[in-house]
Amino acid sequence: MELDHERIEELLAGYALLSLDGEDAVEADRLLAEHVPTCLRCRQTLAGFQELAGDIGLTPAPALPPDLLLPRIHRGIDAVPVTQRSRRGAYFAVAASVAALVAMGGISFTMANRASRAETRTQTALEIVNALRSPNVTPVTLDAQGTTDDASSFLEVDTPDVRTLYLVADACPQPAPGMAYQVWLGANGSFVPYGEMFRPDELGRVLFEGEVDVAHYDEIWITEEPIGSQPTEPNAESAHQWRATLDGADEASAAA
Amino acid sequence: MSEDEVEDLELHRRVAAGDRAAFDHLYQRYGPAAYGLALRITAQENLAQEVVQDAFLALWRAPEAFDPARGAFRSFFLSLVHHRAVDAVRREERLRRRTERASNLEPVRGEDVAEDVVEAAYLGVRRKEVRAALEVLPPEQRQVIELAYFGGHTQTAIAEILRIPVGTVKTRTLAAMRKMRRVMSPGE
Repeated sequence: MELDHERIEELLAGYALLSLDGEDAVEADRLLAEHVPTCLRCRQTLAGFQELAGDIGLTPAPALPPDLLLPRIHRGIDAVPVTQRSRRGAYFAVAASVAALVAMGGISFTMANRASRAETRTQTALEIVNALRSPNVTPVTLDAQGTTDDASSFLEVDTPDVRTLYLVADACPQPAPGMAYQVWLGANGSFVPYGEMFRPDELGRVLFEGEVDVAHYDEIWITEEPIGSQPTEPNAESAHQWRATLDGADEASAAA
Repeated sequence: MSEDEVEDLELHRRVAAGDRAAFDHLYQRYGPAAYGLALRITAQENLAQEVVQDAFLALWRAPEAFDPARGAFRSFFLSLVHHRAVDAVRREERLRRRTERASNLEPVRGEDVAEDVVEAAYLGVRRKEVRAALEVLPPEQRQVIELAYFGGHTQTAIAEILRIPVGTVKTRTLAAMRKMRRVMSPGE
């Protein structure tokens, strides 16, 4: 076990410094989803490394920002992103309605790795709505594949600041008996399963939340898999599936 | 928790409630540190300004991203700036052009606060502590930290720059982070 934690802490140190790439980044994301939330030692180590990483940011000499910067920020605060709002209107309506249901406790949702925050449903709702307000966040629609009903698309929202991924749907078909949905994240054609399998509620609503830096990935895929199985690759033949391209995997291309 | 950290929490709470004066106060407090960090990473004034602007706008739009249970506001916010600065240089594919300069990063020792920068005293105290912790690192460990943090390089890229195995980069990184934590938090 000690040897395992040495390896894990290597990954956590690199993660805190934003310096992981390739398989290490994928492994770290998996650890953050599956192991760290359940391991006090790793949670404390990660918190310590992240606090240290923030403090290293103090070491450069401070520099006076230009006088015009604060007024620019004020204009950013005041700006009403009309075009963005109209473009995001449909997304916002779907997410806000599901988020409101979550806040009221009217829908169960899947948290990939934030089990300790199960009580913060209202917080989750606010996070989604605020994410959609940000001009830096561009929702992605996962399109239905094959015979899957086109009306059942998922909305993906990720927030790079806090490395959180949300998946929202309000018309998700029920998977076949004994089956559930699995999220997959892909980079350069290789996919890894992410988070726990989930099923929509009886009205087809889904809210999936997890901490992951999607910048490491260029594709997201949801497939139907047997409950209790540990699939290693997406079931391309599954009756229902959704897929989308992401803007990620920038680190891999930058390092190439 | 220090009085300054308590004040940060109060300012953040007010920002979350929509208080523009509290936002401006946080800007005055952390703007110089944020801009200094962004300048160091991006090496470009315009890009650094964009990074700082984005970070403060993110704070205004999603103040709940800071969870006081996870550490100090100072650390959270500078991590936000760091993340955005690294993303910016990677996104603009300037990494390759910056490689030569980044491999000769200036040492942190001797960087002083410019005379026209007015900064809260506690940030200066903390800066000295962090610099001191960096300085006690063996040069080869300090180098990998600076290439990763300020150079924005991945561990794979650092291995190529230094012509050492990736495993050595990982080992040095972990050793450096552990040592800095011990120096800065001797009681833990």
